Amino acid sequence: MIPGAMHTSLIETLSLTLLITSVAAVEMRRLKFSAVAYLCQALLIVGLLLSFAPVNRALYWWAATALVTKVILTPWFLFRSIRGVDDRELKPVIGFGPSAIIAALLMLSFFRLTHGRVALLAPTELGQLGVFRTNLAVASTVFALGLYAVLTRRDAIKTVIGLCLLENGVHLSLVSLAPGLPETALFGMATEVVVTVFLLLYVIGGVRQAFGSTDTFRLRELRW
Amino acid sequence: MAGKVLTETSLLPAVVLLLPILAGAIVFSATRLGRAFQQGLCVLTAALVTGVGTWMAYRTLQGVVLTTWSNELRVDALSALMVVIIGGIGLLASVYSVRYLAESTTEHPAARRMGTFYGLLMWFLGTMLWGCVTNNVIMLYVAIEATTLTSGLLVAFYWDRRALEAGYKYLMLLTIGITFALFGCVLLYAGAAATNKLAGASALLISDIRSVVQYLPSGTAAITIAFLVIGFGTKAGIAPFHPWLPDAHAEAPTPISVLLSGVMIKMALYALARTVSIFYPTWPQVTIFIVALGAFTMLLGIILALTQNDLKRLLAYSSVSQMGYVLVGIGLGTYLGCYGGLFHLLNHALYKSLLFMCVGAVIYATGARRITDLGGLRNQMPITSACFFLGALAIAGFPPLNGFWSKLTIYLALARAGLWWAAVIAILTSILTIAVMVRAGYRVFWGDRHLGSASVLSVREVPAGMWVPMVVLAVACGLLGIYPQLPYPLLDRAATVLATLGR
Repeated sequence: MIPGAMHTSLIETLSLTLLITSVAAVEMRRLKFSAVAYLCQALLIVGLLLSFAPVNRALYWWAATALVTKVILTPWFLFRSIRGVDDRELKPVIGFGPSAIIAALLMLSFFRLTHGRVALLAPTELGQLGVFRTNLAVASTVFALGLYAVLTRRDAIKTVIGLCLLENGVHLSLVSLAPGLPETALFGMATEVVVTVFLLLYVIGGVRQAFGSTDTFRLRELRW
Repeated sequence: MAGKVLTETSLLPAVVLLLPILAGAIVFSATRLGRAFQQGLCVLTAALVTGVGTWMAYRTLQGVVLTTWSNELRVDALSALMVVIIGGIGLLASVYSVRYLAESTTEHPAARRMGTFYGLLMWFLGTMLWGCVTNNVIMLYVAIEATTLTSGLLVAFYWDRRALEAGYKYLMLLTIGITFALFGCVLLYAGAAATNKLAGASALLISDIRSVVQYLPSGTAAITIAFLVIGFGTKAGIAPFHPWLPDAHAEAPTPISVLLSGVMIKMALYALARTVSIFYPTWPQVTIFIVALGAFTMLLGIILALTQNDLKRLLAYSSVSQMGYVLVGIGLGTYLGCYGGLFHLLNHALYKSLLFMCVGAVIYATGARRITDLGGLRNQMPITSACFFLGALAIAGFPPLNGFWSKLTIYLALARAGLWWAAVIAILTSILTIAVMVRAGYRVFWGDRHLGSASVLSVREVPAGMWVPMVVLAVACGLLGIYPQLPYPLLDRAATVLATLGR
C-alpha cells in the first residue's frame, strides 16, 4: 500500500511542479501561455495518477480519462477560442504585479495550512500518510488558486481557466480521499467538466460577437 | 411511520429517468420530422413521466421503497413527490411552450433552433429526474451539474446581449458553486468509507451513509456541511449565492423560466435536504445555522423584489424569497417543519409556475414586460388577469389559498421550536410579499393604461394552448387551499424521511 522512497520523491516532485503550473496558469498574461501552463498541469496530473497507480489499480482508468478530457479536449477548446483574436488578457481587478505576489503568498500559506491540518480534510488513515498528505495539500492549494483566479479576473476566458483549476483541485483530492470510487462516477465527473468548458466557451464566443470583447465588466445589461 | 421499510426491486425509477433522455435523443437525431412531432413527443414524454411518477407515489404510500441496479436508484416517498412535481410542471410547461414559442420566434433567428430547444428541454427534465431518484452521493453531484449543462443553452436561447450575459453568469456561477458541492460529497463519501463500517461501494449510497454519519469527526462534518450548503445552496438560489437566479430566470424563454423557478431550484434544495439532514441527529446545532440562512434569504429576496420594475425579475426575486421559506421549514429538521417545508415546496411549484405563465402571456400579447409600460389589461385578458391575481394571493399567503396553509405550518413549526425571531421575519416577509405581488398585479391589470394607442386594440387574450395550463394550475392552487388534506398521505411519508429530529 505504501510507496517506496524513490517513488515518494517522484510523487512529491510532480506535486510541487504542479503547484508552479497553477500559479503560471493564473498569472501568465498571454492567454495562450496560460493555456499552455494548463496543458502542462494536465500532463502532470496524468503523470501523478500513473505514479499512484501501482498502489491503486483503478487509477490507470482514471489516468486514461484525464488524458482524454484534460490533456486533449479542454486545451483544444481553449486554443480554438483564442485563435485569431488578441490574446492579451484584460487588466484584472488586482494589477499583474501585486497579483503575482498574492498568488504566491496564497500558495505558500494555503499549502502550509492544509499540510499541517490535513486531518480535517481527510478522515481516512491513508490521508495522513506522507505522500497523500502532500497530495491533499496540493489539491486544496490548486482549488484555492482557481477560486482566486475566478474571483479577481475580468477576462471571461481567464475565468474559464480558473474554473478548470478549481475542478483539477477537486479531482486531485480524490486520489487520497476516495481511492475506491467506481469508474462510472469518475467518468461522469470528468465528462462534465469538459462539457462545461465547451458550453462556457461557446457562450463566451457569442458574448464576444455581441459585446465586442470578452470583458466580463461590460456585461452590465442586467443589474439588480 | 414506524413500520418496517419494504424494499422492492423495480425498473420504474430507471424508466422515469431514461424516458426523457431517450426522447431528447430522438428529437436531436430526427431533425427532419418537423416541429409538431418534436412538440408532441415532448408532451407525451412528460405525460408518461407524470403517470409513472404517480404510480411510484402510490406504491410508496403502501410503504414500499423502489430500488434499481442494487440500490443505485432509490425512490421513497420524498423522491416520488419530487418526480410527480417535475413531471407535472414539465408537462404543463411543454404544453404552454407550443404556442408561446410558435409566435415569438417565427421571425426570430432562434426559430431555427427549435429542435435544440425541445431536445434540451427533454434532457433537462431527464437530468432533474435523475437527481431526484439517485441514491449515489457522487451521482447526485453529477446529475445536478448535468441539469446546469442541459439548461445553460436554454437560458441563452434568444442569443441576444441580455440572454448571453445571463447564460454566461448562469453557467459560470453554478459550476463554481456545484464544485463546492462535489468537494462536500467527496468528503462525505471519504468520511463514511473511513469509518470502516460500510463495505466497498455502499459508502456511496446516501441511505447507507445515514447510519454511520455519527462516527465522523466533528471538524470533518462541519467542513462537509459548509461545502454542501454552499454548493447546493448556490443551485437552489439561497442568498447570498443567488445573483445568477434573477438574470437566468428573467432572460430564459418563459417555459424555461417556469421550469427553472418552479422545479429546478427545488430539486437542488431537495439535494441539500437529503444530504444535510443526515447530520442533524448528531449535530442538531446545524439547524440554527440553516434556519438563519433561510430567514436571511426570504427577507433579502422580497426586499430586492420590491425594487423591481421588470415583471420576470420581480418573480425571480420572489422565488429567492420563497426558497427561504422552504429552507427554513426543511432546515428545522422536525416533522412539522419538514411537512411545512415540503408542502410549501409543492405550493410554490404550482403558483410560481402559474405566475410565470401569466407574465409570459402578458409578454406574448403585448410584447412588454416592464410594469410601467403596462396597465389596464383586465378587459382584454380576463383569464390571464384572474389567474395572476389568484397566484398573487396564493403566494402572499391569503386564506383559503394553498400558500396560507404551508406558511402557517412553517410559522407553527418555528414557534414550536422556539425560534420566534425567525417566525417574525417569516410573517414580515409575507406582508411584504402581499405588497409586492398585489402592487404589480394591480398596475398591470387594473392601473392606468400606458400602452401606445395603436397596440391597445390589438391586445387579445392568449390562445387556449397557453391559458389551459394556467387554469389547471390556478384550479390546483384553489383546490389545495380548500382541501389542504389532499396531499397529506404523500407529504406525511416524505416529511418522515427528512424529519431526522423526530416529531
